[in-house]
Amino acid sequence: MSGIEAEGLGKRFGGRAAVTGMTFCVAPGEVFGLLGPNGAGKTTTVRMLTGLLSPSEGQARVFGVDVATGGDALRRSVGLLTEQPGLYDRLTGRENLRFFMKLNEVDERTAWPRARSYLERFGLLGREDEPCGGYSKGMRQKLAIVRALVHEPKVIFLDEPTSGLDPEAARTVRDAVAELAAEGRTIVLCSHNLAEVERLCRRVAVVKGRLLAQGAVTELRREGSALDIHVVGDGTAHVTRLQGLPCVESVLAEGGRLRVMVKDEAAGPDVVAALVHAGARVQTVARAARPLEEVYLELVQGRAAAPAGD
Amino acid sequence: MAFSFKRMQAVFWKDTVDLLKNRGLLLSMLALPAVLVVVPTGVVYAYATAPDEPSLRVMARYYDPNLPATVSAARYLVERSLADWFSLYLLMPVFVPVLISSQAVAGEKERRTLEPLLASPVTAAELLAGKSLTSLVPAMLITVGAFATLCVSVNVACWPLAHELLLPNGMWLFGIFVVAPLFAFFGNAVAVVVSARVGEARMAQQISGVLMLPLLGLFGSQVAGFLQAGTRYYAALALVVAVLDAVLVWVGIRLFDRERLVSRWV
Repeated sequence: MSGIEAEGLGKRFGGRAAVTGMTFCVAPGEVFGLLGPNGAGKTTTVRMLTGLLSPSEGQARVFGVDVATGGDALRRSVGLLTEQPGLYDRLTGRENLRFFMKLNEVDERTAWPRARSYLERFGLLGREDEPCGGYSKGMRQKLAIVRALVHEPKVIFLDEPTSGLDPEAARTVRDAVAELAAEGRTIVLCSHNLAEVERLCRRVAVVKGRLLAQGAVTELRREGSALDIHVVGDGTAHVTRLQGLPCVESVLAEGGRLRVMVKDEAAGPDVVAALVHAGARVQTVARAARPLEEVYLELVQGRAAAPAGD
Repeated sequence: MAFSFKRMQAVFWKDTVDLLKNRGLLLSMLALPAVLVVVPTGVVYAYATAPDEPSLRVMARYYDPNLPATVSAARYLVERSLADWFSLYLLMPVFVPVLISSQAVAGEKERRTLEPLLASPVTAAELLAGKSLTSLVPAMLITVGAFATLCVSVNVACWPLAHELLLPNGMWLFGIFVVAPLFAFFGNAVAVVVSARVGEARMAQQISGVLMLPLLGLFGSQVAGFLQAGTRYYAALALVVAVLDAVLVWVGIRLFDRERLVSRWV
């Protein structure tokens, strides 16, 4: 069974489409990133998948439960961390967690040891009887993560978990998420923090009102038209020749390494042939891995040639 | 989805713990009952300790020009005052839920706690019931507590004049235990409906307060002598309020729709 299967999922508010045509799958145990600028429809997608909004089009199942009709079963299957932790400030950390244990009707005797272990791992143990109003932003966010876990959901949705946090707090929250990922939990992470997504997610989807691309991070980074070529000896000797090729946009050389930007992905053999013809001894040729940021900006600014498939 | 009493109790438990830690709100809830015990006790004490004051008969004749000279003006004014204050005791359980329910519902929006709450299995009916209980229980506890205190203080203050217990009587008992809960439910339902439509607790309190103002007409009419309300009048009023309560519950459940709340406020 797939963890999450979305097919043509979309939401309209009145006449305005917030997001449309979202088709993607998340395997059980996978950490999946939803990337996109503000207002791209990430939160709306998460709200549809957690049963807060009903889809206007398409369908989705979360661990076999239909999001449109799942109701109670769906909400028991998901844990949600919203951008704002949404804690009750006058209540203590313990009281906040107890409230959500009661709402989810879980046995507190078994849920508490579990919550306690998370509190310990996230560095909150010993602070659970203090009012949440006195917590730092990072502590609040970590407690909200524990709250999302108290009913042992099958999938956790983290919506901008480090938004608005200082670098230190953001790091502690990222570490907490990394620990959950290491446990093999199914996690959907919404973010526009590319470094965070790159660190935590194996696969991502890029969204801007619709699905622009999805795939493994490593694959997305290799999409596009840059080649990494290693030659024996000094690569700079071949720069001028390569720049004379009509399929080449630019060439950077450093020692025996050449980074060749080509106009067309299919131009690789022509470049290699030109090098060999010039007497270069080519050791390796690989598609260059570009920074995710470059790929992301290309996609959201509409400069990408075509969306990547899965 | 079946109604879960456990989830309703969870909402009630959380809101009660939150309320007990909110000193400002607790103080404002206790201010009105304190006034409604101290002021009428002071008024009847003034009548009871100076029964021969000539101006009392003038005052009594204002209310009843045919008041026989054999009837004690002080005793008449004491009973008249208690009847006047009775309508304010019916208003008290209306205003306490306004204070609490406005915080409990619009406050969830303000504190950004609504989305995690709505993402949990709790249903609209459970949420509404739990939050309503959080305001109805203290409203009735405060009303009954204030009434009990008033009974003691009035009887002590008026003993030298009346030589009998003036409170409780049938009308007061009917009012406190039948009409007041219906009024409390009304105040709560209005606050819930208003706070489901606005984004701030303070605004919800203000709008709900304005909507309750016509009820003050009850008190004003009685004090001005336009209205001679008895048990029958209050029974009829209770019936009307019960119907209004049912309508407001129906509206409240509709307004507590997850999608509506999320798309509008979160």
